[in-house]
Amino acid sequence: MVISLLVSVVDDDQSVRESLPALLQQLGYATQVFASAEEFLVSDYVDDTRCLILDIALPGMSGPDLQQELIRRGHRIPIIFITGLDDEAVRERLLSLGAVEYLSKPFSEGALLAALDAARRVR
Amino acid sequence: MTLTEEIGAHSHDLCTSNPDTRCAQRWSGFCIPYIGATIGDLFQKRHPLRVVLDALCGLFDAALEGHCSSVVLLDPTQARVRYAVGPNLPSSYNEQLTGNPVRVVGAPHIAYGLRLSWSSPILSLTGELLGVFAVFLREGSDPVPIPPTLLPQFAHIASVAIERGRSVEKSGRSEAILRKTQYLSSTGSFSWRPATDEMEGSEELYRIFELDSSLRLTLELMCSRVHPEDVPLFREKISRARNGSDFEFEHRLRMPDHSVKYVRSTVQATRDEDDQLDYIGVIQDVTPRSLSEEALDKARAELARVARVSSLGALTASIAHEVNQPLSGTVTNCSTCLHMLAADPPDLEGARETARLAIRDAQRAADVIRRVRALFGRRNEPTESVDLNEATQEVIALLLTELQRAGADLRMELAEDLPLVRGDRVQLQQVILNLLLNACEAMKDVQDRPRRLVIGTERGEGGGIRLRVRDTGLGFEPQDLKRLFQAFYTTKTGGMGIGLSVSRSIIERHHGRLWGELNDGPGATFSFSIPCEPAQCAAKDHRWSSVYSSRS
Repeated sequence: MVISLLVSVVDDDQSVRESLPALLQQLGYATQVFASAEEFLVSDYVDDTRCLILDIALPGMSGPDLQQELIRRGHRIPIIFITGLDDEAVRERLLSLGAVEYLSKPFSEGALLAALDAARRVR
Repeated sequence: MTLTEEIGAHSHDLCTSNPDTRCAQRWSGFCIPYIGATIGDLFQKRHPLRVVLDALCGLFDAALEGHCSSVVLLDPTQARVRYAVGPNLPSSYNEQLTGNPVRVVGAPHIAYGLRLSWSSPILSLTGELLGVFAVFLREGSDPVPIPPTLLPQFAHIASVAIERGRSVEKSGRSEAILRKTQYLSSTGSFSWRPATDEMEGSEELYRIFELDSSLRLTLELMCSRVHPEDVPLFREKISRARNGSDFEFEHRLRMPDHSVKYVRSTVQATRDEDDQLDYIGVIQDVTPRSLSEEALDKARAELARVARVSSLGALTASIAHEVNQPLSGTVTNCSTCLHMLAADPPDLEGARETARLAIRDAQRAADVIRRVRALFGRRNEPTESVDLNEATQEVIALLLTELQRAGADLRMELAEDLPLVRGDRVQLQQVILNLLLNACEAMKDVQDRPRRLVIGTERGEGGGIRLRVRDTGLGFEPQDLKRLFQAFYTTKTGGMGIGLSVSRSIIERHHGRLWGELNDGPGATFSFSIPCEPAQCAAKDHRWSSVYSSRS
């Protein structure tokens, strides 16, 4: 069995923080959850994170802000954005900035799997 | 003086002042009084001025063999030829002059083989140049002597005719304008002499009353169209009018098809030369206005609803977000659940727990929908006991995303043990929503300081409860304070500006008041206070307790 890849989830919504890691574990990933971008940045998991599932509308530092901050710090973590607010313009912009996928909540397991596969192919 | 008399007087001058007896004989046979009578008759028969002038030239020509006369009429600016007439001149000659600027007319008669014998300006009584009376000699004809004063006299007859024609035209025009004005303003007029009950009504009056125009107007006839319920009022006004008092009142008419019209009657007394009362009345059909006032009321109500709905529009994204979060949890949990059931061996306990989480999340989504419906539904909730803190928190739950988007740093300072208030929960929430959205809007362009938004509740003076929303936005100009609460007034470029006026009326319906004030620092604070439920007012003193940030 391959070593579980670490997928970190950053979302201020409790139900996402509870449900998504459970599914990711079922899919064979190791997970860490964070309620804010700041929490993630100060955690010990930034270096180990192989894929970041990141909410866009976060209190304080937003998801896109975190994306920029990670690029600035030289972390090239594949990012799957998730959002409750579908916006085509935002989607275009984030994908052009290097995001792997942009998923609108609620998203299916199939969409999540495809995004995770894409994230694994990065680099 | 009638036209005939006037022309007759001149013809008398013409005959008596003529020193040349040979001419006098000739011209007395010409019978100038006959001209006056003929011209007067033409006017009587309402012939247009052009025909009258043409006839005048014809009469002149009949007496002078080999000559033909012409009247060139100028337009009121005196710069252009209005038209030229002369029955014995070639019609192309007359047409050639029509409409031309006077300066370029030149001497076109030469081309027609005519020689100008005499001409005289036609002047009005005030000396205004109206036109020219000219007599031409045909080629090959011999000149005929005419008395030297004849031409000016004829020109004078023409001038009287022209002035008369103009005044007829003018009064015809003003009559037409009056008729049109009455029609456009749905205003009919009538005159009434109480002494004899003689009446006359305008075309529009007949139209409004839907009366056959051949009927003679009488008070009784008018009364027959007055709505039966308004007949006593109508009769009373009429009987008072007989004593010389003016009146103005609104009443209804009922048409034969039972449709109802709303009219405003204004009647004013005047006195004629014999000091007899003479009334001039106008009756305006205000039905469309009355109906539109009704429509306006409806529109206002609709607008108030639209204002709510447009807040909803602004919040749609926020609501979608609020609903999608728990839905996302539900979908994810169900996927997890399936995995757990498909495992070998199935993780039944895990599946059960995950299914519960899915149910909880679905319930949360349903809760959001219920809150939205409560907030924006059209139903009128009956009065109930309302916990303002709870109502506030519900609004904030819906607004969180919007507040974040606006970059507002929200602090809630809700007093604990707040007495309940009596009122319409949904309406009060709309007010809170309006105040919060206004605050966000006011801070939209603030860049140099934190966009701090504080919503607080506390016990106010007089046993009421006060809710305040304080922002660090742009505030407002003190002189605008009053206007802020008027419908349609807004300092925003977007938005309908109805929020504060509707909010105030909601609070006033709750026997409270809503006001705004500028902060000591930047921004403004809008507050309302409403009385609490009587049984609650004696409750213990409040303490500040739940002071927390939305960002926790």
